[in-house]
Amino acid sequence: MSIEIISIILLFVSFFGLLLYGVPVAFCIGISTTLVIGLNIAFVPGITTVSQRMTTGIDSFALLAIPFFVLAGELMNRGGIANRLINFAKSLMGSLPGGLAYVNILAAMLFGAISGSAVAAASAIGSVMTERMEDEGYPRPLSAALNITSSTTGLLIPPSNVLIVYALASGGAASVASLFIAGYLPGLLVGVALMIVAAIISRKHDIKQGEKTSVKKLFSDFRKAFLSLLMLVIIVGGIVKGIFTATEAAAVAVLYALILGFSYKTISLKDLPSILLSSAKTTAIVMFLICTSMAMSWLFSFESIPQLMTGFLLDTVSNPIMIFILINLTLLIVGTFMDMTPAILIFTPIFLPVVTALGMDPVHFGIIMVLNLCIGLCTPPVGTLLFVGSGVAKISVSEVIKPLIPFIAAMVGVLMLITFFEGISLWLPRLFGL
Amino acid sequence: MNKTYQLINRCIEFMLIAIFALLVLDVLWQVFGRYVLNQSFSFTEEFARFALIWLSILGAAYLSGKREHLTMDFLIKKLTPQKRKRRMQIIEILMFLFALIVMVVGGGNLVYTTLYLGQVSPAMNISLGFVYAIVPLSGLLMMFYAIYNINFYQYQKVEG
Repeated sequence: MSIEIISIILLFVSFFGLLLYGVPVAFCIGISTTLVIGLNIAFVPGITTVSQRMTTGIDSFALLAIPFFVLAGELMNRGGIANRLINFAKSLMGSLPGGLAYVNILAAMLFGAISGSAVAAASAIGSVMTERMEDEGYPRPLSAALNITSSTTGLLIPPSNVLIVYALASGGAASVASLFIAGYLPGLLVGVALMIVAAIISRKHDIKQGEKTSVKKLFSDFRKAFLSLLMLVIIVGGIVKGIFTATEAAAVAVLYALILGFSYKTISLKDLPSILLSSAKTTAIVMFLICTSMAMSWLFSFESIPQLMTGFLLDTVSNPIMIFILINLTLLIVGTFMDMTPAILIFTPIFLPVVTALGMDPVHFGIIMVLNLCIGLCTPPVGTLLFVGSGVAKISVSEVIKPLIPFIAAMVGVLMLITFFEGISLWLPRLFGL
Repeated sequence: MNKTYQLINRCIEFMLIAIFALLVLDVLWQVFGRYVLNQSFSFTEEFARFALIWLSILGAAYLSGKREHLTMDFLIKKLTPQKRKRRMQIIEILMFLFALIVMVVGGGNLVYTTLYLGQVSPAMNISLGFVYAIVPLSGLLMMFYAIYNINFYQYQKVEG
């Protein structure tokens, strides 16, 4: 066996071994990378290279958008946007039969987009909606399943930090701006698919008809939510028009959220240190993962793993459709036990060269990858959203599994559509010339 | 040890908050300068990049102390309390070794080499060695936290 093959085996065995042993993910990546580098080059230059790649790997102005979007989301969250968004969604869709299900989905989509965090969406929207939906006849497990799956849409609808991480992992092949625009339609499509499933299921339950909303109420609820929604327009509009970079847009979003919080009097100066600290922690979790992953991806190219993988897949599987399905299946399995950010950082450098060799656009693949890994967030054994969603609904995880199945099936259906119809992802970015 | 732990936590918290606040002001100043004053400053972007490195790596040390790194712990949760305690201690030892070997020795060598070669940043003209110094510094903090946590698990009351 050649040294490359031994290195690859050692890398993956030690990584997955440490991961399942319970070592924090960033350290699993760092330790297995160090072991393999030690196998290939001398000890002191090896460890110096790892620490150098960890530092220079995050020396990027584009990555700064991550702490800023985290901070803006945290500020909006503490400013109590959840209720304003729910009220707006309710006066828009609440009067339809089974309307609260749509309200939950729409509110989770809007909240997820603004806060940039699927977990925050699941807990903020779920804690309000579960009670209200129970009053109208929805069983708790059903509304939890709805809430869990619809919270993922915020990861596709911009601004989205996981798309920034993908842009970095793609080595600049996909720009943040085009990924952001590409995320809209797939995110909406997932929302619509979930609404269709909810409509079919809620017929089987005895659900009260919601009251009609007057145009006046709709207008006043819209006015209250408008300033929060405007943030999305400022960010995405600014980036697409080329007025500012994603990082500058994110910094402006922080300023905007701050002014909004102060003028609604939901945030005071005294709250700022604790908001900054908790955002710093969220940032450091993602950034330290990126640090060690950058060392690992350097090792990937040192061992020419992407080329080996491309050659292997293209030689053994001749049909491109089979390869796309194979990659999707691998990511679905990875997603069940690995969180989204490390999965993107590790598997993008491996799979992206394969799919680009088959003519797939890197932006298109990014959307496929994020939607695919969203499904893993809702499934056991490691489904962050599954745990948060059943927690706020005050039911056990096992109760949610059964009602979750049709919604997951809908997401897999949309994933297949998005994989094989590139227009869903690429039509908008092309329209804007990105 | 507990007092030192609290003190170090307070110091890091203060630094993280200060760095984050400066980062926001710095990039807002860059946007303001470009669109309102019509002038771009060479130092804002460089400062922001260096501040992000410090925020990330110092933040990682802080997370080690609080045991808040992203972890796949679904298998650990199934262990008996006694076994879980041993497991957590072994994990802390592995983190200690990573911090020592890669961050303190490897990072220290990186800082030494950079200072020796006299590399300076183009805009702010500061030595890159000082920027990279956060790696061995955070490594030392992580080593301290690992020892603290091993101790913490040792004397933690075993719940039934």
